[in-house]
Amino acid sequence: MTTPADSPVIDLKHVAKTYGRKVHALRGIRMQVHPGEVFGLLGPNGAGKSTLVKIMMTVVRASRALGTMLGRPVGHKPTLARIGYLPEHRRFPAYLTGRQALEHYAALANVDRRTRRRRAAELLELVGLDRWGKSKVSAYSKGMLQRLGLAQAMMNDPELIVLDEPTDALDPVGRREVRDVLQGLRDRGKTVFLNSHLLSEVERVCDRVAILVLGKVVHQGMVDDLTARSRHYEIELGSGPAGRLQEAVRSAIPVEKGTLASGEGVELAGNVVRIGTDDPARVQPIIDALRSRQLVIESVRPVRQSLEDFFIETVSGSDDRSPVPRDGEGDPP
Amino acid sequence: MMQILAIFLDAYRSLNAKKMFWIVLAISLLVVASFLLVGINERGVKVAIWQFNSPVMNTNFVPPALFYKFLLLGIGFPWYLAWLATILALVSTAGIFPDLITSGSIDLLVSKPIGRLKLFLAEYTAGLLFVTLQVTAFCLGSFLVLGLRGGTWEPGVFVAVPLMVVFFSYLFSVCVFLGMVTRSTVAALLLTLLFWFGVFAIDAVEYQLLREITMKRERVDRSEMWHGPNHGRRPRETLPIERNGGSVNLPGAKPDAQSAEDARPIKGTGPADGAGQEKSGVKVTRAVGKSLLKAAVESMKPEEQREKKASPNASAKAGNEDREEDEGNEFATLEATHKIVYGLKTVLPKTSETVKLLERTLIDMAELPEPRSDRRKQRARVWRKTEETIRARSVAWVIGTSLAFEFAVLACAAWIFCRRDY
Repeated sequence: MTTPADSPVIDLKHVAKTYGRKVHALRGIRMQVHPGEVFGLLGPNGAGKSTLVKIMMTVVRASRALGTMLGRPVGHKPTLARIGYLPEHRRFPAYLTGRQALEHYAALANVDRRTRRRRAAELLELVGLDRWGKSKVSAYSKGMLQRLGLAQAMMNDPELIVLDEPTDALDPVGRREVRDVLQGLRDRGKTVFLNSHLLSEVERVCDRVAILVLGKVVHQGMVDDLTARSRHYEIELGSGPAGRLQEAVRSAIPVEKGTLASGEGVELAGNVVRIGTDDPARVQPIIDALRSRQLVIESVRPVRQSLEDFFIETVSGSDDRSPVPRDGEGDPP
Repeated sequence: MMQILAIFLDAYRSLNAKKMFWIVLAISLLVVASFLLVGINERGVKVAIWQFNSPVMNTNFVPPALFYKFLLLGIGFPWYLAWLATILALVSTAGIFPDLITSGSIDLLVSKPIGRLKLFLAEYTAGLLFVTLQVTAFCLGSFLVLGLRGGTWEPGVFVAVPLMVVFFSYLFSVCVFLGMVTRSTVAALLLTLLFWFGVFAIDAVEYQLLREITMKRERVDRSEMWHGPNHGRRPRETLPIERNGGSVNLPGAKPDAQSAEDARPIKGTGPADGAGQEKSGVKVTRAVGKSLLKAAVESMKPEEQREKKASPNASAKAGNEDREEDEGNEFATLEATHKIVYGLKTVLPKTSETVKLLERTLIDMAELPEPRSDRRKQRARVWRKTEETIRARSVAWVIGTSLAFEFAVLACAAWIFCRRDY
């Protein structure tokens, strides 16, 4: 069974998990992951990211789980044959060789023997372990184990790959290799669900992200869209006496309560003027006004907030007790 | 099926990687090989080049086939397989489930399209693979020893394979349950050994009680049995006591105690006659603790005695009736105690009796040589009667109730395994 191209690969409508009676790890997750995209799950420690991933992979039982994965209800065991999973702290039996480990887990995923052998060879080569295939995994370094885990997640040629901290324990070269693998998967039309702490990695490879805070999705969307609202222009002026510079700027651009008459926000920090717009046309009159006061403009550049900045802003700005969901998440349908 | 085979293959690889597996296998073969060095001839027993003359243990008295059966069934199976090899097997397998549910390891397994219960049962069965291989190797060796040295090719030896696997499975189920609860290999192993010791102790107590009851029935005094008649004190006249349905008869004598009827197992000591007992109306009053025993004793007393107690004047009728009453009371207490221990034993796995099922298969009571001295005869008679009583317990009861226990323990372990968040 394959999922229709237009329907979401992961469509969580309400996923909740309560440990005991008091610890609410997840408070009603609503999330959609579309086919062929690389989706990043972000959140601070204790946000419930791993719990959500484990619920999706049936490692943890949800208190309530409404939604589908690959068109079947969350927790549907046979569907897991179409999903690849790399857990955060994967642990392979030390007595197996790399190739044996891959074939063992592939057999558990109902991959036939011939395919297992073929894919094991292919994937060992893909993750750079082809020379180590016959060595016991007890001899592998952390990075090698992580790469083996990645190969293991791809053994059943899954439609959806769920990766929990895939770049953990990898050096920069290893991270780049993982990134290349993920991009290769996306190029082949696979859907990747990525849970990672490394925001720079997520920003580089993910099309969409969701940010979890205290068991709720507080932001979800395209990376560009999430950071777009922080786009602004910075005009760097030539150095001069601080007091005079500020006076000159104020006389050039009449600002009332930090906002121009046209509505853009303006902020002067040192010799940098920040204008809250991503429209270059709206910056031109300000440049003209500054030039008319004989101020020297050293540079004008559009600035976009990084995902990391956005994430930190989101996390630190969230009210712990009542995170504000953007997409209406949190309420069961 | 592919998944199950993958789990079995993994279990085999795991065993193969464990040195303990090969160590136990080597010890097993060494034990079997050592039996090859032991021989029996007309003068006695010969171990390698050393001859030990014996008036009893020689081919005139014990045929070689029986001697080797004794050797294997008296030492090989109960002492080596049922103790040492089992402990080593538990050491080797105790870590299976605690290792399985370790974070990172279990994630990779339960995230596959295989049900948790199926995974649990497959891993459990794979754990029994260890014992199956070990016992099979030992049985093969034993079969060859019996054939080559004893001159009898006894395929019945291979009955030990399922029996020993079933025996081990009782303990392994407990070990798995404890491993699931504690998540610790060491804790699971130690607690399992403690449990086994407890089961063994209950079994030993039950056996002793049964023997005491048998001695009383057979009019055998313990002192006489072990030291011969008139040893150290005036021989005490013991009375044969026979349970007859729900009442205990204290006949003055039953001279033909050695009659054919003696060959029958003792009543009231096992499930074989449980139905008969119930029919006769023996009911142990519901009570708690000491009062349970007291009530049971009271219910076991013959009707006449209870009547006598009700009317003390009647007890003065006969001179030796007091002594008879004491004997009867003692016997009733023994039986009541035995009944309680037996009840406790019923719900627990019967490790010793499961191992003894092999003896039942391979040695007929009629095959056993008759002892020569009176003292030995008495001892042998009590032993035979006790053994007969134990043998009268059906295989279904021995295995069935033990498997019921195992099933209950496994069900709890499986429930934990299936419900837990990892």
